[in-house]
Amino acid sequence: MSYEPPVTDYDYIVENCTCAFCGCNCDDLDFLVKDNHVVAVRHACRLGASKVMEDLDQRLMVPMVRNEEGVLTETDWDTALDTAAEYIANSIRPVFYGWSETSTECMKEGLELGEYIGAVLDNQATICHGPSLQAMQNAGYPIQTLGEVKNRADVVVYSGSNAMNSHPRHLARWAVYPRGYFRQRGRFDRTVVTMDPKFSDTAKCSDMWIGFEQNGDYGFYNAIRAVIKGKKLQSESVSGIPAEDIYELVDVMKNAEFGVLFFGLGLTHTLGKQRNIDIAIKMVQDLNAMSKWGLTPMRGHFNVNGFNIFMAFETGWAFGVDFCRGWGRYMLGETNTIDLLVRKEPDCFMVVAADPGAHFPNGANQHLADIPVIQVDIHWGPSTELADVVLPGSFISVECAGTSYRMDGVPIYMKKAIDKPETCRDDEWIIRELKERVMKLREETNVAEKYVPNPIMDLKRLEKEE
Amino acid sequence: MKTITFNQIKTSSIALEFDEVIPDNIYTWDNSDFDAYQVPIGNSRFPITDFFDIVIEGEAESPAEVKMVLNGDYGRVKYIGCKMSAGEIIVNGNADLHAGAEMSGGKVTVHGNVEAHAGREMSGGKLEIMGNTKEFCGASYIGEWRGMTGGEIIVHGNAGKQCGECLTGGSIHVLGDCDILAGIHMTKGVIEIDGNVNRWPGGQMKNGNIIIHGKVGRLLEGFVEQGIVTDPEVQGKVYPGKYIEYKGDIALNGKGALYIDAEKNRDRLSTWIEEDDEYNAIRVYREQ
Amino acid sequence: MEYILKNGIVYDPQNEINGETMDIFIKDDQIAESVSDDAKVIDVSNKIVMPAGVDVHAHVAGPKLVLGRLYRPEDSRMGVSQKTKIERAEAGFSIPCCPTTGYRYSRMGYGTVCEAAMPPLEAKHTHEEIATIPNIDINPVTLFGNNWFCMEYAREGRIEEMAAYIAAMLRVSKGYGVKIVNPCGSEAWGWGQNVHGYDDKAPYFDVTSRQLVVALAKANEMLGLPHSIHIHPNDLGHPGNYPTTVETLKSIKEIKKSTKKAAKIRDQTVHNTHLQFHAYDGTSWKDASSGADKVADFINHNDYVTGDVGQVTFDETTTMTADAPMEYDLFQISGLKWANKDIECETAAGIIPCIYSPKTPVGTLQWAIGLELFLLVDNPWQICMSTDHPNAGPFIRYPRIISWLMSAPRRMEMIENGEVHKWSHKRTGLAGLDREYDFYEIATITRAAPAKIHGFPDRGALTPGYKADIAVYDVNPNDFDPSRNPEMVERIFTSAAYTIKDGQILVKDGDLVATKPSHVIWTDVKGWEREEAQVLNEMMPFFTQYYSVKWENYQVHDHFLSNPIKVEVPAK
Repeated sequence: MSYEPPVTDYDYIVENCTCAFCGCNCDDLDFLVKDNHVVAVRHACRLGASKVMEDLDQRLMVPMVRNEEGVLTETDWDTALDTAAEYIANSIRPVFYGWSETSTECMKEGLELGEYIGAVLDNQATICHGPSLQAMQNAGYPIQTLGEVKNRADVVVYSGSNAMNSHPRHLARWAVYPRGYFRQRGRFDRTVVTMDPKFSDTAKCSDMWIGFEQNGDYGFYNAIRAVIKGKKLQSESVSGIPAEDIYELVDVMKNAEFGVLFFGLGLTHTLGKQRNIDIAIKMVQDLNAMSKWGLTPMRGHFNVNGFNIFMAFETGWAFGVDFCRGWGRYMLGETNTIDLLVRKEPDCFMVVAADPGAHFPNGANQHLADIPVIQVDIHWGPSTELADVVLPGSFISVECAGTSYRMDGVPIYMKKAIDKPETCRDDEWIIRELKERVMKLREETNVAEKYVPNPIMDLKRLEKEE
Repeated sequence: MKTITFNQIKTSSIALEFDEVIPDNIYTWDNSDFDAYQVPIGNSRFPITDFFDIVIEGEAESPAEVKMVLNGDYGRVKYIGCKMSAGEIIVNGNADLHAGAEMSGGKVTVHGNVEAHAGREMSGGKLEIMGNTKEFCGASYIGEWRGMTGGEIIVHGNAGKQCGECLTGGSIHVLGDCDILAGIHMTKGVIEIDGNVNRWPGGQMKNGNIIIHGKVGRLLEGFVEQGIVTDPEVQGKVYPGKYIEYKGDIALNGKGALYIDAEKNRDRLSTWIEEDDEYNAIRVYREQ
Repeated sequence: MEYILKNGIVYDPQNEINGETMDIFIKDDQIAESVSDDAKVIDVSNKIVMPAGVDVHAHVAGPKLVLGRLYRPEDSRMGVSQKTKIERAEAGFSIPCCPTTGYRYSRMGYGTVCEAAMPPLEAKHTHEEIATIPNIDINPVTLFGNNWFCMEYAREGRIEEMAAYIAAMLRVSKGYGVKIVNPCGSEAWGWGQNVHGYDDKAPYFDVTSRQLVVALAKANEMLGLPHSIHIHPNDLGHPGNYPTTVETLKSIKEIKKSTKKAAKIRDQTVHNTHLQFHAYDGTSWKDASSGADKVADFINHNDYVTGDVGQVTFDETTTMTADAPMEYDLFQISGLKWANKDIECETAAGIIPCIYSPKTPVGTLQWAIGLELFLLVDNPWQICMSTDHPNAGPFIRYPRIISWLMSAPRRMEMIENGEVHKWSHKRTGLAGLDREYDFYEIATITRAAPAKIHGFPDRGALTPGYKADIAVYDVNPNDFDPSRNPEMVERIFTSAAYTIKDGQILVKDGDLVATKPSHVIWTDVKGWEREEAQVLNEMMPFFTQYYSVKWENYQVHDHFLSNPIKVEVPAK
């Protein structure tokens, strides 16, 4: 990394823009704009800045349809939209996946289409923090906004998360370094603990590093809970961590004035999956009896939480909602994208602002290669290679305004700074067009003649309890 | 007695949903009803006769007098026997998700393997699986803290992860091995496992009983050894043999009982550890 | 579009119409004196006609609702129904999803609902949800009871600055009024603590709950807002809490109601919400008993106070409140999954599933105390229907509560045949109360009084010029005895014969026939611009340092408002 002189050649600055990279949704960015192009970004981390500035790198500019020879060829919007609409209208088990890098306004159109045709709507949570959502559904969800962490937290634990690399400004803006109202000395007023098998960059700037063994999360947290309850450990070490280290850790946790647990995919995707989070949540609940503790999942994309929140208030479930029968269903292993793909069920797949080609397991991608795939995105990626129709969208927070939800659930209206390329369209417009075209092609599926109230609502569910 | 035999003609890669085809609904049906019935597949419905040749024999006055025989591969037929309250279903082949889920009575027998969620939230009746089953056998709905409340599940093969999650009653007997976290969050009922368990049986259990006849891999710190018991009686049934009894999960003041076979798990016994030379040697080495 | 509702039996308490047979005229979205000959006639003879319902206090939209929905998929599953040509698929029982909320309120004949807790930081979220709820108008009240700025203003006694701050924040969050929840207590929860009683201080903030509430009440009256302060006092749900409640209400006594125009509609200077949770006697759950008589007695002697009940309905529901420490206490008892959300510098919220069983002592005691409050407060204009949805029960149970209020025999039957636990009569005076509400009083507590309390100038009555929000129920009160037919009462109020909203028929014979987008109602204070600019200027360094968003991104942009109805308050 060499020294780069500050950019001075720009037309104007747009202040308080929001970063469309990770779940931190930093909303203090200044975009330096020249000739309708962002030439520099102030305050952003390198990840965010490069995403905003290199918005034209491998940019999808024109709609494309895969021709009979299997080659993606450029076409006009009408043809591309009609082809896509036809795929959707003719499908029996459509899956609309993605949504985490677009706005809730776009999701709204997508949901209407999904409910109309009877699709499964799912987002990246299914491959990242889905276990966290499942765990909170079992155990609860003590969360706090990030400002609370800044102002109050004196113990911060990162578990299975390398925030230094994945959410670079997380430590700087909220969790570790900033001076909060009750933490005027910033870093000096906080104890930082990293629990991670790897001695990560986050661990390097922590006060304690707990390098427990891989897949040992559940057993380790169980031991912590037992120690919190005042029990002496039977083994000399649990998950590779000596008993005395666990006692020390629990001591730090119990004596916190305000503690926060941030956890990432290191916890959600090791053996035990949702149960690792489940027990971590339970641990936080135990700690609240003697201290004040909260937790926050380190959400990846800037609007992955937004989709979960949006779906919850629109439909009642957070992700993986299946409308094929005319009502919403949410069931682990049945209505989630990966399970459906591995079972080879879907016969049409729309991916909006996501890259399954890069992220999905091989078995799932194999099925994607066999079925029509519609891609709505701004960049060329592995998914483009799988796509049969490519619809170039626009960059939310740079070229297009929209609402997103930060990892802690704080909504942010991401404003527009520059104009989008002429040949591209807003995501919201694309999905609305698709919806309208599908509605012309096929009648709404699985509509009941008459509203029938759910009988369970009038049953006294208390009987089950007794 | 009415026997309805489904002989498979063709399969579908998109799963059929059989939640409407249960004895409670179809005991009055004759051939014309089946000819008219369309089975849900994805967002559409198709004639059930496209997929099955259906033979009806006999008459039924109530669901209890119905016997459904399903011949063929039902690996893509979901919700077999879901919410049924009486009658019998025999699947000669594999079954898909939610076989016998939420059933309150009657019997489902599967002569093959069953996908996940078998016997989810059962409140009565019997589900017998001759092959293996996957995750969440006899579990609760996600988020629901009241799982299976009654009835019986017998798995002749192996069971997947989180078998008997949030169990609140009834019994599950796995004759083969069981994957991690059997009986997690359980509050009542019995889980008996004849085979081995790799890790963490009874995680965060509040109450209830788990009996394991095989070898247990890792045990959680939340379980406290109570000593050796012989022929323990659990909910009126005697389990012959010697077991190490644990109480847990202490991490949430649980009062659950975990019995593991004493002979196969000798290395777990604290008394055994004290006399085991090799173990002591390691400990001395570590202390240095 | 013009309509004539012909020959209905009208209950319109604001206009003192008690069961008169008359015609109601509708022109476009308003009630009219008369209509042209083209008007469509709807025959409602022998049916009850009332203004559409107004819910004085419910939680229907916002961050804690969504937290509840996120973490209770099993509740969403309980209320599913298949989509039809008119309505989308329903989901949810105690915390239905947004579209479902609108449909169910409509079927009961409701037109307006107050969303009772909106944290400014996440106000955008609340407004997004409001925009998703169809058919009902919503006025969200903004939370101020644990706001750091308000606590500082109260400590320093700077009422005018506080008023300016409130005016600014109502505009920023697009809120309707001042909501106070467990004043100072939710801030204490930031450290895992609570305040005990009305004169306790939040840690590090040298201000008592009393100082804060009195200051907010003064500021509210200084601005002359349409609604009074809307308070959930300290010590919710704790046995022996009724003195705190009475103390809180007493402290407002000397504060003069504003004489400004917007404040004229209401009579009260304080609205105490879900009184049932605040009227317990005793020292612990072992010796807990009803304090309803004392609270009711206080209300009967003080007409500056109004309240709603928060009636327990014996359901499995989800409790959610900005009284976060209380939720943690509940979690310690029940052990069911606990969710919590602390919001920087503003508030906190706790959520847990809760089962009110008629077989348990505590649930029954709460049920009986709620009914006692309904029956002991003499003036129905001072007590409103609410379940504090979803805290004491889902709003779809209002008809059942009405059936209990209209039928003393039903209440006695429940007590005598052991349907409810014996604490219901051993520890309360419910068994000795034989008062029964009539339809006029029901109309008062479910529409007229809530509209008046919120200071709505355009709804809650069938006055010409008001919004054409009307409910028709299929029963002839002249040959029907509600006391003997409680089940019938529940049925008729569950599915309205007609629900008309803004002059549009949404429900016919209990079935939804149309949907329409909701309106959001917010208060815009005029004439304080200079003071507002001054306080904002003063608070800006603090805001920049200690909030986690930029001021520009803190405000609710017009983009989020669903058909706003702006209530302009010329405050000076």
